[in-house]
Amino acid sequence: MRPTRLRRWLGATLLLLCGALPSRAAAQEPYTITGTVLDADTRAPLANATVQLRTGAEGTAQRTVTDEAGRYTLRARVAAGTYTLQFSQLGRGTATRQVTLGAAREVTVEPVPLAAAALQLEELVVTGQGVPTERREVGNTVATVRGEEVNQAPATPSVDRALQGRIAGAVISQNSGNPGAGSTIRLRGTSSILGGADPLIVVDGIIIENNTDPLISLGSNNTRQGSAVSSRLTDIAPGDIERVEVLKGAAAAALYGSRANNGVIQIFTRRGSQGEPRVNFTTEYSSSETPRYFAINEAPRAGLGDVSFLRKPDGTAYVLGDPITRFNVQPQIFRTAPGVNSHLSISGGTGGTSYYLSGGWTDQEGIIRSTGHEKRTIRGKVTQQVSNAVEVAVNASYIQSRTQYQPEGEQTAGALTIALFTPTGFNYAFDPALGRYPYTPVITANPLQVLREVQAEANVDRLLGSVQTTLTPTDNLTVTALFGLDDSREANLFLQPPYSTGPAFTGSISNPVRSIRKSNADVTANLETPFGDAFRLTTTAGYRYTSDRINTIRAGAENLPPGQEVVGGATQFASQGITELRTVGGFLQERLAIADRLFLTGALNLEASSAFGPDERWQLFPRLGTSWVVDEMPFWDNSGVSSVLSALRLRASYGQTGGQPPAAYGIFNNFTDVIFGGRPGQAGSTVLGNPNLKPERQREWEGGFDVGLFGDRAMLEFTYYDQLTKDVVLLRPLQSSSGFDVQYQNIGEISNRGIEITAGAELLRRGGFSWNTRMTYARNRNRVEKMRTAGDTIFSEYLNIVAEGLPVGVFYGNYYPRDAQGNIILFPKTPQGAFIFDPTICPNDPARACYPGRAREGSTILRKVLGDPNPDFTASLSSTLSYNDNLQFSFLLDGRFGNEVANFTRRIQDYFGLSEATEEEIAGTVPAGYYTLNAERHLLYEAFVEDGSFIKLREVALGYTFTQPWVRGRLGAESLTLRVAGRNLHAWTDYSGIDPEVNLFGGSTVARGVDFVTTPIPRSLTVGLTVNF
Amino acid sequence: MRNLISRRAGRVALLAALAGAGGCDLDLTNPNSPPEDLVLTTPDGIIALAVGMQGQFAGTTVGTGMVLNAVRAPGLVTDELSTTTRALAADRSLVTGVGVDASFGVVTSPYTTAFRVVRSAEELLENAPNVGLTRGMLAGISATARTFKAMSLGIAIQHYEQIPVTATQDENPLFPRAVVLDSVLSLLEQARADLGSVPAAELADFNARVAIGYNLGDVINAMLARYYLIDGQYQAAIDAAARVPLTRLNVFSYPDPLRNPVWGYSQFSLDYVRGTQEFVAEADTSDDRPAFWLRLDQATVNGSPAVPLRNLRQYADRNAPFPIYLPDEMRLIQAEAHTRLGNLGPAATLVNAVRTQCTPSASSGNFTEPVACMPALPADRLDTAAELLAEIAYQRRYELYLQGVRWEDIRRFGTAVAGETPSVTWFPLPQSECILNPAAPC
Repeated sequence: MRPTRLRRWLGATLLLLCGALPSRAAAQEPYTITGTVLDADTRAPLANATVQLRTGAEGTAQRTVTDEAGRYTLRARVAAGTYTLQFSQLGRGTATRQVTLGAAREVTVEPVPLAAAALQLEELVVTGQGVPTERREVGNTVATVRGEEVNQAPATPSVDRALQGRIAGAVISQNSGNPGAGSTIRLRGTSSILGGADPLIVVDGIIIENNTDPLISLGSNNTRQGSAVSSRLTDIAPGDIERVEVLKGAAAAALYGSRANNGVIQIFTRRGSQGEPRVNFTTEYSSSETPRYFAINEAPRAGLGDVSFLRKPDGTAYVLGDPITRFNVQPQIFRTAPGVNSHLSISGGTGGTSYYLSGGWTDQEGIIRSTGHEKRTIRGKVTQQVSNAVEVAVNASYIQSRTQYQPEGEQTAGALTIALFTPTGFNYAFDPALGRYPYTPVITANPLQVLREVQAEANVDRLLGSVQTTLTPTDNLTVTALFGLDDSREANLFLQPPYSTGPAFTGSISNPVRSIRKSNADVTANLETPFGDAFRLTTTAGYRYTSDRINTIRAGAENLPPGQEVVGGATQFASQGITELRTVGGFLQERLAIADRLFLTGALNLEASSAFGPDERWQLFPRLGTSWVVDEMPFWDNSGVSSVLSALRLRASYGQTGGQPPAAYGIFNNFTDVIFGGRPGQAGSTVLGNPNLKPERQREWEGGFDVGLFGDRAMLEFTYYDQLTKDVVLLRPLQSSSGFDVQYQNIGEISNRGIEITAGAELLRRGGFSWNTRMTYARNRNRVEKMRTAGDTIFSEYLNIVAEGLPVGVFYGNYYPRDAQGNIILFPKTPQGAFIFDPTICPNDPARACYPGRAREGSTILRKVLGDPNPDFTASLSSTLSYNDNLQFSFLLDGRFGNEVANFTRRIQDYFGLSEATEEEIAGTVPAGYYTLNAERHLLYEAFVEDGSFIKLREVALGYTFTQPWVRGRLGAESLTLRVAGRNLHAWTDYSGIDPEVNLFGGSTVARGVDFVTTPIPRSLTVGLTVNF
Repeated sequence: MRNLISRRAGRVALLAALAGAGGCDLDLTNPNSPPEDLVLTTPDGIIALAVGMQGQFAGTTVGTGMVLNAVRAPGLVTDELSTTTRALAADRSLVTGVGVDASFGVVTSPYTTAFRVVRSAEELLENAPNVGLTRGMLAGISATARTFKAMSLGIAIQHYEQIPVTATQDENPLFPRAVVLDSVLSLLEQARADLGSVPAAELADFNARVAIGYNLGDVINAMLARYYLIDGQYQAAIDAAARVPLTRLNVFSYPDPLRNPVWGYSQFSLDYVRGTQEFVAEADTSDDRPAFWLRLDQATVNGSPAVPLRNLRQYADRNAPFPIYLPDEMRLIQAEAHTRLGNLGPAATLVNAVRTQCTPSASSGNFTEPVACMPALPADRLDTAAELLAEIAYQRRYELYLQGVRWEDIRRFGTAVAGETPSVTWFPLPQSECILNPAAPC
């Protein structure tokens, strides 16, 4: 988009006003409607149910929620007449009552029971639009996950994992089995290349840090992204969460503007409500273990790997076929890891004050020895009703966590890495003669020594807080002002003492500290204006300012004296980097309700970012949406379909969002430190500044329908979406004689298209039994539409590439030469061991020893696309059986289909002769050297790309809730729940490694699906207890 | 009352939220590096850029700088250096001459690094006159900028048949060797004039803050001598070389955290690159210099390609200085120029002066100039131009090992005299230049 004078003027005005908004008032004497809402089964009062006066023709919908005693008071400024009162609550059905408003200004309604329901069609209120809005009015999908689901997900002290399998269109992968390791979340595919692809995370209106950049490299080697990175999402205690809303793309997230290309996850924490203090205490104990060990060579005779690297106990060399004793060190690396997770909350409220206080404690050991994750959280939220028109809420939480890691993946100090690089005839045991564990032949370090000596940890202190003021000067105007702060400090340690990894190793320590301060100020005003007979206009205007500052200080040392555990020693170094980013913007949204059945939404969001060039600073992000509630049309009830099709809503939506450029200072010509002769100097960076840098811009349209069947006993949501992200930032090379190398430019285009289906049904409700089930299905087609040039290919790490016409991150590499029938052609070797790349020799000489090599044409080695780490589709199935609300059984199956994984773990095992396959060499089925030390096959990536489809039994849980008199009598409690649950108990997959879900490169945008000695995701069993007072 | 509180609370909260918005200032500067307008418009910024430009040339960390480029390719394509492993595919391709690719860093780096220095030099020349530097500082910085630009172009034109002579993002015409050499020499003469335009006393601040560890006048004269010789302007070469004192060693120094680039290349990266045993084997037995340059006290190792190799003895320390030129190069330049002008007598005297030197007369830090300590050659062995040129070629090979002159020497003396055929004649232009510079002839 070209900058226009209008946009600049608007921008300047926004900056000046910083959110001042007009207010309008409607004058009318209100009716006061009071009543109560009850649980249909227990007749207990129901708190937090939504009560709404549907004024149909007249427009204005008055809304309130019930208090702790189930009571509500609704003030409505409407004309006399008969109206519909609608009652609803998350996870329950809807009930309606007719109410006639006449001369009496005070009206009392009979108690209304609400039953639990499988259906969540139009009852829900969503907040994705800046202010709470009924879902039925919104033209796009907003996925919602209830707090109970998050809380009850077993053995997951982190929100991200609890969301796995619950949201159609979200691929959530835990990158490593290290406790506290981060998850990678992809909503509707990847739409960036150099930028991040994880969604924006907003907690109670605070835009929080969700950085997955590792401070220390523990997975992949030092130049790459690491896997064992803690996700900052894990800092939020699941017990505090009331609900999670997911905005998957531009159509839904336009109001989040220039940071929302990857979607938005909004987390809402619990708040107190009026009434007696309510105490909830949950504690659970879990036990985790690796699903299995890596399969290794257990042949009783020596193979090529043993001969090449090992010596017999008497010091002499092995000869092929010698008897050999095998050792499996994995039981000494893995362990069965216990974990404890407790959470206590107290909430209540009196006299206009409500509060929610909680504390949480997690101590989870890792399945690799010397790893673990400890976390303490404290949260407080106090809401004070200052007057009828003013409410002030203060929200603060403090998180402290300590995660102990061990290196893995490419790290030569990784215990598992060493174990899989060392032929299995090696005896790892402590050697009294040496006074230490012996060094291993390939990598040198000994895993048992490393697990005792190497320390790697991350310590996080984090304060999340906000102050929010809500003004309701008139019944139809609400103004909310929020100031949010996320202040965190992450201090890491990576200590490798002298001699821990090798006889010549003099020790190294790295102690980086990253301080992150993010703040945002939001003002949102919402005005409802009825006009005409059938129209209601909802105007929402907002202003948002965000400021981020990241300060990273790295200190480190090499050449350490023994016992040194802080930075010190013979060689020391330090460095610092600061990144700041600010955005400011304002939006105006109008929603027109016609007859309370047809809703039209239009919005404009104007945003500016410090990372955009001066001429591209102000960016406009529009959105449009429509929702049509067909089943409320007059013709519907008589149409005949209503007996089957009990609800139908059609929706369509269009929106644009942006993505921040990957370099905060890419618009400048930067100078860098260049020292000469011991004096400080400056020289121009080789990255040419681009003063025209602008956001990566995504446009998305989606359409779909929501259907209720058989009296809403079953439901179906269907959505099709089409995303195109333009102006994707790439580094464009510059001619060398310019003195520059590259420049950030808005060049690329990426598309994502797909469908999402969510279906649910109440299969049985009889007597005290109920049986509900829910499934999700999502498929996404990702495609790079445009690169720098037609044949342009960007390589990422080993074998992931970005190229035009292909999905982001497909595997690309060397493949087997094959004959016309598709059989792999093998090659002979010269007596000196060199390959003879003549494809005609081996097929004609069955007696020859022949080996796999790479396809080639002359001296050129041929490569091609070998697979795609992006799944063809994802699906999940969950089901809950309950009896009398006491006994509950549930499970969740989560599947990913059609994705490939590069099994580089097997690659390295094959090369060093310790995979199961290398037993074939010892058995004589294939010649020695077929796998082992075959440098040709080692680079033949086709041999290691496998189908990574899986179905995991993510969760299975059995719980019983005691509400018998003895619970109150003996414990003074309202209820007590005992639960036994399992997580990742079983996986159905053809993948030959342990876990197809892990990724060596952690949060990397492009390098996905590479399994290289990454800690497998454990299976866990949990026993839990919840008491409610 | 209650209403009053509520209003006040509301206002306070709103104000608090807006206060958080600060000035809504979106024009941030990059705190990690000074902005362009600070570096290019202030005296201290220009001085920092002059220091930084020299750092770009000398190299700061392992694998950077023009010094490494001057040493690396001329060493690998001739008999000076070789590789020990197949792992260094690009470096090894220069040794064998097979599979040299225009995308290899070793092939592109002499070009890209040269134009980074040229860019900095041109920024200096454009902006230094406008920031209010003292006369001496301005003269010194102008001379430094021209000298380093000249040295960078000079090294580059020994790798590629044609190169541009300025740094620009626009279409950048390339010029053949003769034109580039004219530019190099003209820059150096201007640099000499810059320095001569102010009294020496006014250069004190410049010498202390910018020309660190060397005498700029010496370097200008030495480079004039080197490039006049290459350009065939022999009398000018003799005159320039004669102005260089033989008792002063001008070096780039590498105190921590800097790293000597040759150390970084040969020692730091697991000894993947070493000197050739051929260099030792073909030396005169009376020559002390093979033992000066290589570790003859250690056994040879087998390289890949399979030739015996030896560890370097010089630059074994990561902080070792690197000589910008060696004093005896001046004697050998004069000797060669005299020979080519037909003045065989003075040439023979200069050659014998190099042969017979047993006591080093110049050193800096822990680097001392090499000495041959060979017997003088009788007059009848140095009385024809052919004999003199052969002896000068030999002396240059052993005196100026890893000085980046061997490749060019072979071009000048010819294979027969120099005793070596380079594996690569010229480098292809870097791929990015080929594709992106419309003027590039490829």
